[in-house]
Amino acid sequence: METDLLIIGGGPAGLSAAYEPARHGLKVTIVDESLRLGGQLNQQSQVLDLPSGFAKQTGMKLSQFLQDRLLNYDVDLLTKCTMIGTYKDGRIGVTDGNTTFSIRSQKTIITTGAAEDSISFPGWTLPGVMTIGAAQILLNREKVLPGKKAIVLGTNNLAFEITKQLNESGVEVIAIIEKESTVDVDADNIAYLKQANIPIYVNTSITRARGPGEVEKVLIDNNGTEVAFDVDLVCIAGGLFPILEPFQVLGCELIYLSELGGWLPKYDTNFETSIPNTYVAGNAAGITAMKAIMLTGDLVGISILDSLENYNSDYVKKRKDSLWTELAKAEQPEVWSARLSLIKEFELERKYVTSNR
Amino acid sequence: MDKSTIVCRCEEINVDEIETVIKMGATTFDDIKRLTRCGMGPCQAKVCMNLVNRIIHDNTDKPFSDLTPANMRMPLKLTRISALASSDQTITSVTSVFDESLQEVGETNREE
Amino acid sequence: MQITENIVTFSFNGKSFQAIEGQTIAAALFANGVKKLGVSRKLQQPRGLFCSNGRCASCFVSGNGMDHVLSCMSLIENGMIIQSNESDPDIRRKIDGD
Repeated sequence: METDLLIIGGGPAGLSAAYEPARHGLKVTIVDESLRLGGQLNQQSQVLDLPSGFAKQTGMKLSQFLQDRLLNYDVDLLTKCTMIGTYKDGRIGVTDGNTTFSIRSQKTIITTGAAEDSISFPGWTLPGVMTIGAAQILLNREKVLPGKKAIVLGTNNLAFEITKQLNESGVEVIAIIEKESTVDVDADNIAYLKQANIPIYVNTSITRARGPGEVEKVLIDNNGTEVAFDVDLVCIAGGLFPILEPFQVLGCELIYLSELGGWLPKYDTNFETSIPNTYVAGNAAGITAMKAIMLTGDLVGISILDSLENYNSDYVKKRKDSLWTELAKAEQPEVWSARLSLIKEFELERKYVTSNR
Repeated sequence: MDKSTIVCRCEEINVDEIETVIKMGATTFDDIKRLTRCGMGPCQAKVCMNLVNRIIHDNTDKPFSDLTPANMRMPLKLTRISALASSDQTITSVTSVFDESLQEVGETNREE
Repeated sequence: MQITENIVTFSFNGKSFQAIEGQTIAAALFANGVKKLGVSRKLQQPRGLFCSNGRCASCFVSGNGMDHVLSCMSLIENGMIIQSNESDPDIRRKIDGD
């Protein structure tokens, strides 16, 4: 199989990245291992803060919109197809479960997104203990209540977002627990949790989860005191980190930046990695909010057009500038400055440090 | 942390086993993998990698930036043999997927 | 998820259940109160859905004779025969007529 632009991962970043290249006439192939495109959008029932030009809408609606607007162009959508490897000549190996085939492309964008980090404790392998994203998938995408009484481990954005969704669907969230002694919670979340009667216990960690074949009770250590709760759902909100396997097998240089979620591939102002013609965007390029995920997707698509002689029009250059301006305002300051330092360091390295590969 | 806590869900390796091999001299995820089978199960370290690196960090003085990710090999996800050996046309490609994997410096090529 | 809901019927360990077309196998089982999908290979501990994203390999079931199906990444089908993932697959199996 041959294509102009291969995109591995058809979530918000991949779908965004496809648009301008497709509109400009490039043949685009999107590969996604899931049953449907849309990635994390398909489980997001909340209204999202989006880039300019997009109406405020839920993740689920946005997912459909991003797919629909590609319909008029030469875009191949390969769902239930998984990238499993690479060839020395640069082709990507993909399987659809029944057969394996290669895809040769001029440009490749890896937008495989993020995975959820775990928190381990005795009994975490019991059914009913799951990542908080899994609970959200069951609730919003599969229309299944993930439990009746829940406890949430962690106090990041996902923890608050999904606690709210669980509570509104009739799941009793007994508490949110946090092992640190203090936690930063924004005013909206504090107000919501107060009226929903959901406490946050700091200096608290889970001692064990127990149950006959599935979780029915948890023991927690609250500031030295042991407390027991009857729950049938334990949501682990361990945080997100960029998925690395595609970059590792492609031989991309990696860097560790905790503000971006840990290890991730190095890239320049065009979102091009250390491997020529291989690009990155979305959460894979650093954990960030949806608006920025989509903007990095737009940017990588525009940057690829900018790199091609027949496509680097004034429109493309202007759009690239305005996207960077918008991205600078869209991200949390720590994320933005970490991203800048990654790009700056990589570009300087490439210019002044000889490679020993 | 309770030393009997499972870290690698697939191979069911607990904290105690991992800390024991760190005391024996294991310093990286790949060392721990080779000594305990941690990371060798069906998920191929996707879930345990960060948990193990946290344990190494807590037991040594290595910063996270020194704890490189577990080495990943093809196929990147669970794949049925029947999918890899799918048709006569792709037989040479099948050998390629395994043979032409990018080599680390110092590793030798598999002989055909 | 489709707006029109078709009901599918399937069996898990011989017991009959119903689900909505378009749900994953794991979700269909969960909706019916089935959270334990099998046991772990070494210590025979209960296992079920954990990441629901095809990464953690905790949600294995056998579906229509195929072992080690990731139930969170496969759709439930009408008439599907599902069995829990109890141990390493036997090469000689009764359902293969041996």
